[in-house]
Amino acid sequence: MSIRLWIDDREVLAEPGERILEVAQRQGISIPTLCHHPALPVLGACRVCLVEVQQGKRREITTACNTLVQEGMRVATDTAEVRGHRAMNLELLRARAPEAPAVRELATQLGVARSRFRPPAQNPLPNCILCELCVRACAHLGHHALAAVGRGDKKRIGLPHNRPAEACVGCGSCLSVCPTRCILLKETATTRTIWGQTFELVRCKSCGAPVMTEAQRAHAIRTKQLPEDHDDTCELCKQSAASQRLASVVW
Amino acid sequence: MGCRTCELACSFVHSRAGALGRPRIRIHAQGRGLEAGVIKDRYLQLTCLQCAEAACAKVCPTQALVRDETTRAIVLVAERCIGCGLCEAACPFGHMHFDRQIRLPLKCDLCGGSPACARFCPHHALEIRP
Amino acid sequence: MARIANAAALAAYRKQQRALRPAERKAIAVCAGTGCKAFGGLEVFEAFRAALDAHGLAKTWDLRATGCHGFCERGPLVLFFPEGRLYQRVKPEDVEEIVTRTLLGGEVLERLLYQDPVTGARHEKEHDIPFYRHQRRLVLAQNGQIDPTSLDDYLVLGGYGGLVKALGMDPAAVVAEVKRAGLRGRGGAGFPTGVKWEICRAAQADQRYVICNADEGDPGAFMDRSVIEGNPHLVLEGMLIGAYAIGASQGHVYIRQEYPLAVERLELALAQARALGLLGQDILGSGFSFDVHVSRGGGAFVCGEESAMIASLEGRRGVPRRRPPYPAAQGLHGKPTNINNVETWATVPIILEKGADWFAAIGTAGSKGTKIFSLVGKVNNTGLVEVPMGITLREIVEVIGGGIPGGKAFKAVQTGGPSGGCLPAEKLDVAVDFDSLVREGAMMGSGGMIVMDEDTCMVDVARYFLGFLKFESCGNCTSCRDGLEQLHALVTDIAEGRATSGTLDLLEELAETIRATSLCALGTTAVNPVQSTLRYFRHEYEAHIRDGRCPAKVCKALIHFSINDKCTGCTLCAKNCPQKCITGERKALHVIDQARCIKCGICRDVCKFAAVDVQ
Ligand SMILES: Cc1cc2nc3c(=O)[nH]c(=O)nc-3n(C[C@H](O)[C@H](O)[C@H](O)COP(=O)(O)O)c2cc1C
Ligand code: SF4
Ligand code: SF4
Ligand code: SF4
Ligand code: SF4
Repeated sequence: MSIRLWIDDREVLAEPGERILEVAQRQGISIPTLCHHPALPVLGACRVCLVEVQQGKRREITTACNTLVQEGMRVATDTAEVRGHRAMNLELLRARAPEAPAVRELATQLGVARSRFRPPAQNPLPNCILCELCVRACAHLGHHALAAVGRGDKKRIGLPHNRPAEACVGCGSCLSVCPTRCILLKETATTRTIWGQTFELVRCKSCGAPVMTEAQRAHAIRTKQLPEDHDDTCELCKQSAASQRLASVVW
Repeated sequence: MGCRTCELACSFVHSRAGALGRPRIRIHAQGRGLEAGVIKDRYLQLTCLQCAEAACAKVCPTQALVRDETTRAIVLVAERCIGCGLCEAACPFGHMHFDRQIRLPLKCDLCGGSPACARFCPHHALEIRP
Repeated sequence: MARIANAAALAAYRKQQRALRPAERKAIAVCAGTGCKAFGGLEVFEAFRAALDAHGLAKTWDLRATGCHGFCERGPLVLFFPEGRLYQRVKPEDVEEIVTRTLLGGEVLERLLYQDPVTGARHEKEHDIPFYRHQRRLVLAQNGQIDPTSLDDYLVLGGYGGLVKALGMDPAAVVAEVKRAGLRGRGGAGFPTGVKWEICRAAQADQRYVICNADEGDPGAFMDRSVIEGNPHLVLEGMLIGAYAIGASQGHVYIRQEYPLAVERLELALAQARALGLLGQDILGSGFSFDVHVSRGGGAFVCGEESAMIASLEGRRGVPRRRPPYPAAQGLHGKPTNINNVETWATVPIILEKGADWFAAIGTAGSKGTKIFSLVGKVNNTGLVEVPMGITLREIVEVIGGGIPGGKAFKAVQTGGPSGGCLPAEKLDVAVDFDSLVREGAMMGSGGMIVMDEDTCMVDVARYFLGFLKFESCGNCTSCRDGLEQLHALVTDIAEGRATSGTLDLLEELAETIRATSLCALGTTAVNPVQSTLRYFRHEYEAHIRDGRCPAKVCKALIHFSINDKCTGCTLCAKNCPQKCITGERKALHVIDQARCIKCGICRDVCKFAAVDVQ
């Protein structure tokens, strides 16, 4: 049974279990987000996707990403109050991540030209906004190598219990999803270093170009994502091989 | 003919933020051969085959690679991608490229049904067939 | 002890136990609660044991170590039954005299009686003492009477009678009874307990859970601890009744690691109840089965929040999640789960025993029954007080609490724990109930109550609580994690004289965003200390900012100590100064080196001639 609600005075149908954000996006209504990723579990950390929700007599400002739609709900995505609170939270994040382009751009867009706050005292990973996208991506891949550690103003992202986590395979997914790109990844022709660990890279067996980390390859084979006899060639050499096979057929 | 216009066209169409994208079609020189009594350079154009059982789509942990129902192409839903790079490793033909700068895979999406490579080929050597 | 098969067998067993200890039997109850223990309660207990043995009285007098009596300020406390005589501040040295003169001689030892600090009157009986007289003890009623390690003690006083009644009713009727009683949750939010049970009961599931929230993270609060330590079976009985009403077969008590004694008492109570068949399969032949598991929490304040608690019980990080779905629909392991506070559970047997109407007659229209507060701070009688809802703050502070010590003026009372609000003297006549307190910018919370006198700086108070909360935030939300840190920094700026005219505006703007946009109640209520002090004591903030002055003379950066001409040159201050920054010849005016002074105020405290000024 569908749920009927209103978003910005537009009547909308949604399914039970859906959240305001996805329903709004489907309607082409854009709501800014920093910690949201459609393929990962919702967290509601950045407090940027704020909307005003009226449900019966109850009216509140809340986050669209993790609020379930309910029958008769009235959602307003762009009121002055909503904009004000979004801007304040972005101002807080701007103090935390002054150099992150994504934060700076969104802040500017919301009218936060600069932050009136000092950078937080504890900020071991500069520009990290503690959105835990990295943690969630890593967990989703089955590695569980990252965790949010500590609480309150001492919360940080790190390897669980401060140990070099054998669980990390150096795949770099955490960096891929990081909205501030604050995770350091260094690559040489033969190695990749991330989260303080250095990984050997698989080298293309024809040309020697780096492909992926040994550890990621091993994990993917173990979990049957890649076949046992996985072909360690780079994409270009794979193409050449394919073209040669084709040529021998054509000519 | 080996003019590589298709590669260029692809790069243009799939450019991001002013930078040329990596072409998703490539021309591979296959040496020379005798054709109708004339010695010619041989070239093959290779691009994604949009496999029926696409290895890239199968390996993707977030279902970010899905078949477009109209073009039948396997396309990337970038919002769902978590940039793990497994798709590049999984493609047996080397058509999946994981861009290490933007941290997203690049693949032929048939340009939504009207591929630039075919449109721009001066020799009309490329065409799309269902 | 054999398993008790049914209600009739329980009644028979109870009768048998009562015969063994008639109500008129003489008993000595030594408080072994946390407060009294700290003052040496256990030594007093041991001294009594030895003295009774020595005098051959062990058979005529029952000696019990009981749970907290509440009047911790005056501990160690010793109660004598059946008279209800109370001796306070008893020391082991007093015991011999008590035994010979009071027990044997029937004499009352005046010096051990409570003396009213204001009137000077001595009170012999516990219930005559103003601290107790104005309380209404339901949950704590048995604390001073029973030995918490004895299930028989509890049974003698009618324990598990509520359960027997409940088991004779339809589960839905039990829910209806609790609903009709108007009981609201004692853990903070004051949600109607019966309604919560009803929702949980209505959720379709093959398994339901009940949880007792004994995380009690508020600094200075020890209500829940005292209830569990002093009367664990009462809590257990409440959980049994609730589980029966809801249809849960498994219960958890989430209790903080720092309460080892409470854990021990609870584990013992569980074992006793299991042995008697009050827990386990087919309880009292009713077909209802239930057991309880004790889980220890790591001591994070936020784990008291129900969704964080569930995460923690499931072995995940204790972080709250967005509700709905509420635990009543999707809780522990995804199953419908009902979470109540210790005090809430402990109230349930009383409602069943005495009836919903009896209970609903206590309190106000919107808040029924009694609430336990831990009364601390600048008040004469600190301790645990259980009062009927609707009592005024003034009665608690001035009558039960006996007013402010040292003739100082009352300034504010903070209710509701670290994220409660501070109410000024004008609000002392506000009724203590869920809705009135919230209306005034404070809250009931779980029952912390801190009294502050004129020497308290409200900016400093706000800063103190923010410091606690920024540390205890789970760190998920930008608004709560970064917001509280920045709010703390702004208030610190004010306290240390760095604030500018814009600081207050930014402070208010930020506080509102934290309140409006944080995920759980930790964040949304964390600004109460700031918002309430701004509401009632704005002038103090302004004095700090505009005049660079701390009116209560607390904020170190804004005060300095100097020595006036009353100085006799006694050198006492110079001797005590930890910085050794006071100089002066004997019998000559002393001087403080301002550059080195750390403003500890010791010189002012030690000076016998009031020669040290603070500005
Ligand atoms: C930050 C935070 C801390 C809490 N701490 C406690 C606690 O220590 N004890 C408690 O019973 N409830 C605590 N609560 C309230 C619980 O979330 C929950 O409302 C309560 O246990 C429900 O029981 P009740 O209905 O009997 O009050 C806390 C809530 C928050 C937001
Ligand atoms: S690089 Fe390591 S930490 Fe990052 S997602 Fe991959 S396995 Fe996880
Ligand atoms: S490292 Fe990046 S993805 Fe991870 S929490 Fe920080 S900002 Fe988010
Ligand atoms: S890189 Fe993106 S598209 Fe490729 S497999 Fe990983 S998540 Fe899927
Ligand atoms: S409001 Fe604070 S404690 Fe609550 S979830 Fe957010 S960060 Fe955690």
